[in-house]
Amino acid sequence: MIFILWLTTHRAGDDRRVTDTSVILALVVVTALAFDFTNGFHDTANAMATTIATKALRPKTAVALSGLLNLIGAFLSVEVALTVTNAVVKIQNSNGTPKESLTADGGTALLLIVLAGLVGGIVWNLFTWLLGLPSSSSHALFGGLVGATIAGLGWAGVNWNGNGSKLDGVVGKVLLPALISPVIAGVVAAAGTWIIFKITAGVAARFAAPGFKWGQIGSASLVSLAHGTNDAQKTMGVITLALIAAGDWTDTKNIPFWVKVACAVAIALGTYLGGWRIIRTLGKGLVDIAPAQGMAAQSASAAVILASSHLGFALSTTHVATGSVLGSGVGRSGAQVRWRVAGRMILAWMITLPAAGVVGAAMWWIGHLVGGVAGAVTVFVLLIAASAGMWWRSRRIPVDHQNVNDDWSTTTPPAAPAAERVPATAAS
Amino acid sequence: MHNLGFALDGAWRVLLAGLALGAGLPVLFALGIRSLAWSTGGDPEVRDSGVIAPTPRPSGKVLAYLLFGTVVLGVLLGIAFIVASGFGKALSFEHIYPTIVSKH
Repeated sequence: MIFILWLTTHRAGDDRRVTDTSVILALVVVTALAFDFTNGFHDTANAMATTIATKALRPKTAVALSGLLNLIGAFLSVEVALTVTNAVVKIQNSNGTPKESLTADGGTALLLIVLAGLVGGIVWNLFTWLLGLPSSSSHALFGGLVGATIAGLGWAGVNWNGNGSKLDGVVGKVLLPALISPVIAGVVAAAGTWIIFKITAGVAARFAAPGFKWGQIGSASLVSLAHGTNDAQKTMGVITLALIAAGDWTDTKNIPFWVKVACAVAIALGTYLGGWRIIRTLGKGLVDIAPAQGMAAQSASAAVILASSHLGFALSTTHVATGSVLGSGVGRSGAQVRWRVAGRMILAWMITLPAAGVVGAAMWWIGHLVGGVAGAVTVFVLLIAASAGMWWRSRRIPVDHQNVNDDWSTTTPPAAPAAERVPATAAS
Repeated sequence: MHNLGFALDGAWRVLLAGLALGAGLPVLFALGIRSLAWSTGGDPEVRDSGVIAPTPRPSGKVLAYLLFGTVVLGVLLGIAFIVASGFGKALSFEHIYPTIVSKH
């Protein structure tokens, strides 16, 4: 709000077209921060689901710790991720500045693509949250941007396969990592779990319990910190791109300090809110996790995420964390893995890109048909309506920090809409 | 499908590093726990009854803390990496021990 007021007064003397740009820019910034917030609460599970499920930390303590580490992590990312959209779409030059053809009209052409793409990402994030399914926020954002770009610039506006010099494009940055990362994380977690159970078999609980507790807290903290550094940076890059397109910022080597603060706070608050529905699925739905498995899964996640980003082969935290939890179930002899739940997740991952893309494209067309400021406002209002609708729907079977650890099989899972028709009295 | 080649090339490196750090360090940690339990003497494993006057084994404690120390070093390496990459730097293992260098 303060930002909108600042922009309006700042731009009051300029001609009308520039004021139009300011309003759309303000909507893009608010939407980007909303996306950052959903990014936070969608991904709390990646770091903390196993820690909460094994009761190494109380649910509220776990989300508070993760939120704080995300905040610190976001401030640690000094490097500018301005070229974040270049992985999948062609709306920026290689130095990060927007394509000139998109900034002719006060930048509104680029702003509408970014706005529609962000809305696609948010809607998919909220929908998967409603179903309690972990899915990658980066892939949702990329999907939304790809859809909005296809709608706005045609198929040629999308970077499908890179130029052959490095891992790039929709195939290289989204599809292949999504297939490969859960497998890698699963193998590492399965190996770790199997050996740890062999080593500590029979060791008295008074030695094993505190050890595994601290092992889990340490590895979950690493995942949270890495998440803050990686993911907040993406929203910072998107907002800075919008500012450059609107002519409010020119420096491609730095980002405005308020952008950094706003993004860090948004992702930390989102993480603290906690996507309890997703935490429940990942912590209780896939595998019944023992403390040793929790430690093996979180260590595998932390190592795979850090190693992949060190080797320039960026993987989605969500896919890695899910693969680790599955692996920890495979590695412990006698553990039951609910493959049906895993199958639903994998299905959600496969349709993340097209689903967010369809929403992004639809939003671009609506915004374009209405046109100008009214178009951007329409898209924004649609986003609020969709979000409010999904939040209201979620209240019918609420999941929060009190029932997040309930036994999976005896209660109605949040992800099973069919089961809610069973009257409540039937259970008693 | 050049992307597939790049992805598979990256994948096996990530798998190796993941196994070394993501499975190796927790295994050392588990050995530490086992060793700590052993250090108290007697039978570290759960027994129904009849364990009297265990003889402590200090070497077990030393070994346990050596193992825990190694794990902590691994975690510190992870934090150093996160912080360094946030500042646009990278960790180099050129001299065996890690050093912070600028990204090329």
